[in-house]
Parts: sequence; C-alpha cells; structure tokens
Amino acid sequence: MSIEVKDVTFRYAPGTPLETTALEGISLSINKGEFVLISGAIGSGKSTLIRHLNGLLRPSSGQVTVDGIAAHGKKVKAKVGVLFQFPHQQLFGRTVFEDVAFGPGNFGLRNPELEKHVHDALEMLGLSQGICPISPFSLSGGQKRLVAIAGVLASRPDYIVLDEPLSGLDVGHKKSLLSALQLLSSKGTSVVVVSHQVSDLLSVAQRVFLLDRGSLVFSGTPAEYVRHSPPSMPEINFLMKELRSRGFDVRDDAFGIDDAFSEITRVLGLKGAVEE
Amino acid sequence: MNTLLFRYVPGNSFLHRLDPRVKITGMMIVSISIFMSSSLRQLASVALIFFLLLLVSSISPKIIFDAVRPMLLFLAVILILQFFLMDGEPVFYIMGHDATYEGLRHGVLLTLRFLFLLMFASLLTATTTPSLVTVGMERMLRPLPLRKLGISSFDLATMVFLSLHFVPFLYGSFSHLRDAQISRGLDMRRNPFGAVYSLSVPMVRIAITSAEEVAVAMESRCYQGGHRSSLHAPVLQKKDLAALLAFSILVLALV
Ligand SMILES: Nc1ncnc2c1ncn2[C@@H]1O[C@H](COP(=O)(O)OP(=O)(O)OP(=O)(O)O)[C@@H](O)[C@H]1O
Ligand SMILES: [Mg+2]
Repeated sequence: MSIEVKDVTFRYAPGTPLETTALEGISLSINKGEFVLISGAIGSGKSTLIRHLNGLLRPSSGQVTVDGIAAHGKKVKAKVGVLFQFPHQQLFGRTVFEDVAFGPGNFGLRNPELEKHVHDALEMLGLSQGICPISPFSLSGGQKRLVAIAGVLASRPDYIVLDEPLSGLDVGHKKSLLSALQLLSSKGTSVVVVSHQVSDLLSVAQRVFLLDRGSLVFSGTPAEYVRHSPPSMPEINFLMKELRSRGFDVRDDAFGIDDAFSEITRVLGLKGAVEE
Repeated sequence: MNTLLFRYVPGNSFLHRLDPRVKITGMMIVSISIFMSSSLRQLASVALIFFLLLLVSSISPKIIFDAVRPMLLFLAVILILQFFLMDGEPVFYIMGHDATYEGLRHGVLLTLRFLFLLMFASLLTATTTPSLVTVGMERMLRPLPLRKLGISSFDLATMVFLSLHFVPFLYGSFSHLRDAQISRGLDMRRNPFGAVYSLSVPMVRIAITSAEEVAVAMESRCYQGGHRSSLHAPVLQKKDLAALLAFSILVLALV
C-alpha cells in the first residue's frame, strides 16, 4: 500500500521552443500512514510532481503507481485527494455544505453518511457547523481555503496531498489543521504536504523530500534535513548552528522551539527550566 | 495541459522579424479573401498559402493545432446543423430531417472558413509579441478620426492587447480549475451538468476579479489613455513593403 514514483521525467510543451523540463529522474515512495513534507524553492517542480500523484499529468518517461494501479486510472482519484495552490478559486456551490459535499458525492457517497463526512471534515478544521448554509463566496480568503481543504478531507481518501495549505492561515487554524492531519496520519492515512513554511511542518512530518530545479536532492527524516542545512531552514536551526560554531555543544539536528529550548537549557546546566 | 493557446512563440524567422503592421494588413487581406471565397478550390488555395507561411515561420504545426482544438466541437455542431437544416437534394433521412448535399457543402465551407481564420490568427500571435501587435495596431489606427468618438487609437489598441493577454491567462486558470474539480471526482462525461456548473461558476468569478485586478494595477501605475510612447518603435523597411506586396499578389492570384 504505497504511492511509487519511478524515475519520472516531465516536460511541459514538449517539442516546442517553450519546452521546460520540470521534473528529472524523480524516484520516491510514499508509504501508508506516512506524513511527508515536500520542500523546495519556487519553481522547483513541487506542484508538477503533485499533479502526477493522482494522474492529472502523465510522466514524459517513468511511471507512477498508487497501490499498484497506474496513477492515471479512474479509481485513483478517489484514493488520492489533492488540493492545489490557490484553492479558494475552486469553490462554486450555493452553500458551503454543497461545496464540501461535491467530492464525496462524486465518489458515490449518499446521505446520511455524506452529511456526517462533511460535518466531521469541517469540525476537524475548527469550522463551526453554522457555516454550512452560508454561501462560500461571502467568506474571507482564509475561510475559503479551509472550506476547500474540508472538501478534500470529506472524501476520506487514503492519501491526502495538499499544496501550500498553510499559506494565509492564522496561528490557531494552522495548529488545528496540522493536528487534524497528524491524527489522520496516525490512523493510517498518508499525508503529503508541499510547503515553504518548513518550520511549522518539521515537527509533525516523518520524512522530508527536497526538490531543486526538478531533481530530488534530499530525502530523509526532519533531523537529517536540518543537518543537511538546506536553503529553507527554520530560524531556530540557524541559531543552533551559530551556537555550535561558538563552541556550545548543542545538537545540530534539534528542530522546533521546545526541542531547541531543552537543548540550550541542558547545555547551560539550567535543569530546572526544562521542567517548566 | 495546453497553455500555448494564441501565445507568442519566440523565434527568429522571416515572419517573426516582419513589421507588425505588415502582418496585420496581411491578416486583413487573408480574412477578406477567406470570407469571399465560395468554393473548395479557393479554400484549397488559402490552405496552400497557410502552409507556405507556416514553413517560413518555423512554428510547429502542433501549436496551431492546439489553438484550434478547443473550437473543434463548436465547428462540428455548425457542420451538423448545416447538413440537416438546409434545403436541397436529400442524401439520407434521420428523425424527420433530410440531410442534404447543399447542406454538406455549405457546412464544410463555413467550418473551413472559421478554421482558417483561427489558424491565421494563431500564426499572427505566435510570430508577433503582444506588445508589437498593440503598437502595430495603434500606428495603423492613428490616422482615423477616433478622437471625435471620444476614444484614442491608443485606448483601442490597449483594449485589443488586453483581450489578447487574457486568452492564455483565462485558459491557464481554466485548466487549473479543471484539474481541481477532476481531483474532486468530477467526471465530465458521466456528469456533464455538474461539469458545466462547477467550472463556469468559478470561471466567471475569476474573469471578473482578474479584470478588476488588472484595472486597479494599471491605474495604480498611473495608466492614462491618450498618447504614450512605446518601447518598440517599428520602422517599415523595404523588405516589409516588398513582402506585403508579394503576399497580396499571391492571395489575389490564387483565391
Ligand atoms: N503549465 C505550465 N506550462 C509550462 N511550464 C510550466 C507550467 N507549469 C509550471 N511550469 C514550469 O515548470 C517548473 C516547475 O513549476 P511548478 O509549478 O511545479 O513549481 P513549484 O515548485 O510548485 O513552485 P511554487 O513554489 O512557486 O509553487 C517551473 O519552471 C515552471 O515555469
Ligand atoms: Mg507550486
């Protein structure tokens, strides 16, 4: 049970002067229940890679399979739920309920399960049920984005793929989204998140893939990622690196505020502060 | 995914380097002759001219085909309607309607005319940057007394430029949107009503908001109609005029 990407190369507009190689020789696999972060500079091919995971794009060479089925097969759309960048543009329903129910309804779910799936998805993201009868167009940008994410969660796919889900969310909703995703992943759903906001995700992700100009240049745990010192590293790790270079014996693979805090207090011998 | 719709394709062919005014005039001559042509033989000549130009332009036929493809369904509908709704000698008979020879002939002519117009237009936009199209058009409109109508030749050219700019932009938004809805399980064949609804509602919103955004962006950068200098000032050279002359003669002789 996994998504397997094997030696995938993809070119936009092949055979024209505008030909761009967006992915080159990418191989990776995403296992059941795994929480994966895909990072990389803008234009490095993250969104292009994601479009291969549910078969919207077919590789110029190489192959993608989902649970052993070719990714462009019909059944895959229900298995792999994908949310693209700028999802507030995809809303169309007369009510929030209608919009969130669009995906699960298309995959054959009917009331009363449909209603339950929709309500569960909204609740997971910290949205109140009172939002259901409202027109999605009267919501704020961030609320629209949450409703679009709920539309993917409500289908309860085996693999959830989200492109930049954190952009434009406040701290509270970021937290509730991340803990919802963590809960899903602990129950066996694979979660793939593309994000530039690496520091928010390193403490929840189990594996990190780093893309650079269409190639996979790193794959490993968050701790290994931080040690690899990629260009987009959380501020806290710059601090830890700096402390190390000044002779403090802190671990260089600590990430997240709590982790770093206990490292610093440990080195300074401030035992009491750790318990606080 | 198809983002090459009516887009400029960089190149350095003779057609690319030709003065935009010559290309626009050529386009007008061809359009007129396409609409005046009333036989398949004349349209065959138009096709010949098109393929000659395509060879000269070194644009891949795929780009032209991509521009035409979204219209094919529409053209097919026209063809079928003509086939059945025109009076004349019946060929066969379905559901109370005669399919006629005259209908077939007219339908084919009509669809071919549309097809060639689209093909020539995409050749023009593929070999000319949008800003050069604008400048060319603006220069050509300048002698007209448009001011009396309360509009400057520059306004008019900018309007055309913006429309050209919006074609690939809206098409890009459309494919993005289609990807999103397909990922949410939209099956266009099994649920055509859902497809139209879930695509058209957001598309109208995108079109309106982006038009508004462009307007605000232009205003905040102090756009005002009236006269503006332009980055490229096309200069008509002898070779441009010679090309136009040769092209006109070719069209007149063949069509
Ligand atoms: N529809 C398209 N047609 C042609 N080229 C494209 C298209 N979409 C993307 N590209 C090119 O492919 C490359 C990768 O783009 P992609 O959108 O996958 O990057 P990304 O990593 O998602 O970037 P971002 O962080 O900005 O979202 C870029 O060089 C881009 O110019
Ligand atoms: Mg992207």
